[in-house]
Amino acid sequence: MRNNVLIIGGGPAGLEAGANLQRLGYNVLLVEHSNTLGGHLGKWDRLFPGGTPASAALDKLLGSMDGVKCFTDTEIQSINRLGKSYNVILSNGITVLADAVLVATGFDLFQAEKKEEYGYGIYDHVITNADLELYFKTGLDTRINAPRKIGFVHCVGSRDEKSGCRSCSKVCCATAVKQACEMKAAFPDAQIYCFYMDLRMFGRHYEDMYLEAQRDYGIRFIRGRVAEVSENIDGSLSVKAEDTVSSKPLKVSLDLLVLMAGMRPSVSGQRIGSLLGMQNEKDGYFEVLSEITAQQRSSIPGIFLAGAATGPKTIPDTLADARGAATQIDKYLSDIFPKAKDLKQLIKTAW
Amino acid sequence: MPANIFPILAAQASPEVIDRIPSSFSHFVIPFVAGITFFLVWIFVGFIRVITQLSHEERVKFWTSLLNPITAGKNIRDLFCDCLFHTKIWQRKPLLGYMHSAIAFGWFMLIVLGHIEVALFVPKHLSYGEGGLFYPIFYRYFVWIRPGHESLRGAFFFFLMDFFLLYVLTGIGLAMFKRFRSIVLGMRHTTKPSLADRVALYSLWMIFPLRLLAESFTADLSGGSFLTMGMNHLLHFLFGDKLYFQPFWWAYSICLGTFFAAMPFSRYMHILTEVLWILFRNAGLKPSHPRKGVAEAEIYACSSCGLCLDACPMNVQKKNLKYSSVYFIRFLRRHNERKIAEIADKCLMCDKCHALCPVSVDAPALRRAQRQTTNDHLPYDYSYLATVPVKLYEPATPRHLERDAGSNSSKVLYFAGCMSHLTPRIIKAVEDIFKKAGIEYVFADREGGICCGRPLLLAGKKEAAAKTMDANKSMIKASGCKTLVLSCPICYKVFKEEYNLVGIRVVHYTQYFKELIEAGKLNVVKSQERIVYHDPCELGRGCNVYEEPRTVLRQVGNLVKAGHEYDESICCGGSLGSLTLSQNDRRKITDAAIKDLTVASPETIVTACPLCLKTFSERSTVPVKDFAEVLTKCVA
Repeated sequence: MRNNVLIIGGGPAGLEAGANLQRLGYNVLLVEHSNTLGGHLGKWDRLFPGGTPASAALDKLLGSMDGVKCFTDTEIQSINRLGKSYNVILSNGITVLADAVLVATGFDLFQAEKKEEYGYGIYDHVITNADLELYFKTGLDTRINAPRKIGFVHCVGSRDEKSGCRSCSKVCCATAVKQACEMKAAFPDAQIYCFYMDLRMFGRHYEDMYLEAQRDYGIRFIRGRVAEVSENIDGSLSVKAEDTVSSKPLKVSLDLLVLMAGMRPSVSGQRIGSLLGMQNEKDGYFEVLSEITAQQRSSIPGIFLAGAATGPKTIPDTLADARGAATQIDKYLSDIFPKAKDLKQLIKTAW
Repeated sequence: MPANIFPILAAQASPEVIDRIPSSFSHFVIPFVAGITFFLVWIFVGFIRVITQLSHEERVKFWTSLLNPITAGKNIRDLFCDCLFHTKIWQRKPLLGYMHSAIAFGWFMLIVLGHIEVALFVPKHLSYGEGGLFYPIFYRYFVWIRPGHESLRGAFFFFLMDFFLLYVLTGIGLAMFKRFRSIVLGMRHTTKPSLADRVALYSLWMIFPLRLLAESFTADLSGGSFLTMGMNHLLHFLFGDKLYFQPFWWAYSICLGTFFAAMPFSRYMHILTEVLWILFRNAGLKPSHPRKGVAEAEIYACSSCGLCLDACPMNVQKKNLKYSSVYFIRFLRRHNERKIAEIADKCLMCDKCHALCPVSVDAPALRRAQRQTTNDHLPYDYSYLATVPVKLYEPATPRHLERDAGSNSSKVLYFAGCMSHLTPRIIKAVEDIFKKAGIEYVFADREGGICCGRPLLLAGKKEAAAKTMDANKSMIKASGCKTLVLSCPICYKVFKEEYNLVGIRVVHYTQYFKELIEAGKLNVVKSQERIVYHDPCELGRGCNVYEEPRTVLRQVGNLVKAGHEYDESICCGGSLGSLTLSQNDRRKITDAAIKDLTVASPETIVTACPLCLKTFSERSTVPVKDFAEVLTKCVA
């Protein structure tokens, strides 16, 4: 008898954990509420630091999913503890008895229109990081019209108590630098500014990427938050900021402003959390049993966590976390459900 | 007979009332006399102290206000309504209003009627040499009604005295009940009494039941009506012919004495201080120092009733009860500097405690005065004032070309302010409406402006505010426009109250757009959208603008009610007034306000303040829109 494992969320974390658990011999069922697998990765064009195409990474993940049963467009209706397992009813009518559940519900992008002073949704030439990736993928966006001056605003909805998020979203600095370079490559005549508070180039090769951006792409990094944005008659944007290095107020006119929207706990994930009675931390992400030694375990037995459901993570971090979750689940299942029957079977067949 | 000419004198000669005790003194009055003497000396010294602490201008303003017939009329009305009848409490919470007015007005009437009785029947005892200080209070002890000689007039007063005693007793009964179940009287939270408060409170509770007992014991001698006489018969039935009444008169006197002795240190000092505060208030005096002069009268006028506890938006969390105005004032009284500073900075300055206070104690003004003591002298860099635009932005209009330059007097000056610049949809909508109505306008701070000064004033930075206001003032005067339209109530309040813009009309856009609709310049098409209107603190309580936005919104959609409206509206939590309140606490307030606004499940929340708009938009699941945004959508 193979143990059933239910994975909630079909983003990189869910896919990677699913593939690994399948290889470990479990019966894996993956549930995704949207109509496609891949999560935010599916909407991205290229990944920092090396510019790996996101589609290549996604294809690799999907390619190792053999045997994993995936349900897209499916929600969890109810989930209840039943003995050692969980009785889960799905919106497509299927009932599953899962011996372990992995919550990989990921994140939502911060809704940039909530930071109204930047004018997203109000002015014609203000877009977000996600919009820009979609533009790179499809080449279609009427808001991007041969811009000669482009600004990137870091930390939109991150490290900003007023917008309800104190913590750093971790990936936006590197994304902004990557996207700034890509824009310079696409529009070689454009002058590009990055407005930042701190540049958190913590990962391997990130610092190289930042130096290249300055040296090879001529991107101007200005330390200071953007205060407000207004629209001129010709549709260009007037951006007011403070250059905190020179302690001077600064006003530039731009043709395009890109907002680096940060990460927020996903709304659908919160619903799963409340179905399970899981605890959130103050920042809204799920609480883990120990942030040092048990990052992938929740406080509820049999419920595991992976990916950005427990806080902002880069793609490699997420994948590593998912693999960690797979081994944790394997350990848990073999401890709680010892395979005595299987052993007899094994001896019988071996002899 | 002189009796025919002067009926009052005839009463003097009436044989009905006879001095039972020829010396008109008994030892039991000593506790009362001691207490009231201490109290009167204390209050006299306090009054002199407050008056001397006033500045010369304030003193002149105060004395002249007393002579002004309009202010005098207002004073008399307010003294009766606020101190005795408590009409402000009646309007909101009738049972609580009854309780307060029963004790205040009932007791007042007992004192007045006691003196009238003495004046009518034994007038010589009104003089202080003949026990005038205590005789009217203990009238029933000192007199003897000759049996069979009770006049109709006497009986009338007996009835009145019993009636008002019963009235007070019902009030006291409710007060006792309120200690245990305040919610029944409409108060979720009540103040925690201090030691002096407790001493005064318990003696106050005891005074009237003891008075009833004492007067009942002597009712067969000194007269009484339905209450005391009835009790008297009962007592005779229970204890026989001889009633030993001395202990009750002693107890009554001791309780009165204790109450008056404890009064200066307790909340009950408000009973007399609120008279002075009302006079100050109506004279237009405002506290300039958190402790001295006007502030002193204001602090002691606080009855510590705790109505501000439920009013305060911070108290959505119980842990923040300690920051309420009532405790702020208590710590001001006690000179607890550390707590004073902490509480002063916490407040959102939404002014709700002031609006709901039965005697209009202006706690936010006291907090501002307190902030001023620490923040006004901090060093500032004023170099930014030079960034006030000299050349104002004027959108080109066909008529603009015909007009000779410099003639702006028919144009409207629009000042968006910092907050509207953070909510660009407001600016967009306002400009849109101007265009639709064909209004020629000058945009004062399109290319950047400076603060209106109100946030600085709220932070107690008076001098810095004065500098920014001067810079803005010269900009406005130079524009030549005669009408100034503001989309931010924070700006509106300060432009209207502090700028003193002679010859320039200052209006909030809700008022201005209402006028445009009435003048037929805007054609509004009504939709069926269910909308709820949030009163911004600075616009509603701050500037008394409640009806204009509602009038317009009723023409725009289906206006539904919020849980708390008008001056009871709940702060959005985003107020610039607080210097130290955490984001987490603010979010709790925002959520509470949104919950209150959406009780009638509206489709849209509408507000007329950029700060409220921004704060609500970040938390609300119901769409939040600005007044101008909703209006322009419905204008053809």
